[in-house]
Amino acid sequence: MIEKRKSALVLVGHGSTLNPDSSAPTFQHADEIDRRGLFAEVYCTFWKQEPSLREVLRMVESDDIYVVPNFISEGYFTETIIPRELELTGPVTRRSGKVIKYCEPVGNDPRMIDLLLRRARDAAPGVPPEKTSLLIVGHGTSLNQKSAEAAHQQVRVIREKRLYAEVMEAYMEEPPFIADWRKNTSQKHVVVVPFFIADGLHSYQDIPVLLGIESARTAAASQQEIFRRNPYSLDGRELYYASAIGTEPLMADVILDTVVRFDRKHLYDLAA
Amino acid sequence: MISDELACLIRDGYNALGELGFAESLSGYRLYHWADRNSLSQARVYRSSKDAREIAKYDSSGAYRPLKGAPNLPRGWVLELPNINDLKRALDFFYPGAIATWLAFREGKTEPVCLRQTLNRQTGMYRVTRKLTADQAQSLVREACRSDSRCLRTILWGIEPDHPPDFLPASKSDPTVDQTGQKRAALPFLCLEACNLLVAAARTTVKKTSR
Ligand code: SF4
Repeated sequence: MIEKRKSALVLVGHGSTLNPDSSAPTFQHADEIDRRGLFAEVYCTFWKQEPSLREVLRMVESDDIYVVPNFISEGYFTETIIPRELELTGPVTRRSGKVIKYCEPVGNDPRMIDLLLRRARDAAPGVPPEKTSLLIVGHGTSLNQKSAEAAHQQVRVIREKRLYAEVMEAYMEEPPFIADWRKNTSQKHVVVVPFFIADGLHSYQDIPVLLGIESARTAAASQQEIFRRNPYSLDGRELYYASAIGTEPLMADVILDTVVRFDRKHLYDLAA
Repeated sequence: MISDELACLIRDGYNALGELGFAESLSGYRLYHWADRNSLSQARVYRSSKDAREIAKYDSSGAYRPLKGAPNLPRGWVLELPNINDLKRALDFFYPGAIATWLAFREGKTEPVCLRQTLNRQTGMYRVTRKLTADQAQSLVREACRSDSRCLRTILWGIEPDHPPDFLPASKSDPTVDQTGQKRAALPFLCLEACNLLVAAARTTVKKTSR
């Protein structure tokens, strides 16, 4: 168990000016880590919400600061936006007596595999994996994120475990498309896990329509409803839809792992 | 510590920030909507600083509040907090970084960043904002940041480097002025750099004119 009683943890989320659910998992994991009392301070900051990346470091009082991007993969935000807005010079930035340690995005953590498997199991309790297609869905190209690459990597590792009859990937904006799931999966049971950080419009509206479990993009009064109606019977198949992987409570541990991995990887930079 | 400084400021008589009022109580500190200060016995009582985050999330009509400085906090609640740390945390959920920013500015540890610099730094979909003219910028900020309906922060940045924000009403850039217009002993609530919402609005302006 790590203990960083003299350090601050700053979790960076994307946030949204339209949808409060976008930042909910970032706050949820920060609260959990804060509750465990492992860090002197825990803050959240967002690209699209306050506190902004420009103001959050003024709030931090510790001299030793871990910045963890709550992002599913490397990409535009982790490589351009966050370093620029926080004025980081690399993994370790020293400025006015403070050391800022810029960790990898949470999605890089090897434990994401366990989370995906747990999500899949919880979404379809009692359904035998050996008779099930597991479908990991991601966004795909347009966001300039390497999210498809990351999802692809998870799929490969899970496939090698040979737990599920088949493990497939599908994307909103690049092939294989989510809408083609009937064609691209072969089993009676299909479990769909969104490889996203938060449940936003994509997981409440876009993906359900692409899967055919909703007919139109409706702003649901109770958006959680969509996950409670499992399984969906469609064309002789049973489809189970899980909420975004980033909402899994175990993400708090993935964040802590990310900090531990940073220390291990940058042992020598930090000693300098 | 920021919370110690906050405790000093309260002892010095400060009792407001943005739409909020606060005071020492028998059991710690009390935080409420300023407009409710005379009817707190009817307000719903909350006891955790984290409740502040939920209260600040929606306005009274249930609409999401993406801009924390917007003068539309819901009413009818009071936070009873056990100590100054919890009061500081609650204030940070309502107005993120407001106190830290004020203290850092007062100590000369941080400077305003002019709008031009903020816009020129943008990449991706916001790169076009560098085309915003000075005139467009002035009318945009005058409208999008006005204290009576949009944002209660005091703007200390100008459009171009080394320019003061003299295109705004003098009160909007004076930290000693209470932006709610009530002349309370309010802690300054500073805007040291244009927020992302303003950058997004700048993009809309540029897109409109280039059509
Ligand atoms: S730029 Fe500053 S004053 Fe204007 S809306 Fe954003 S935070 Fe408020």
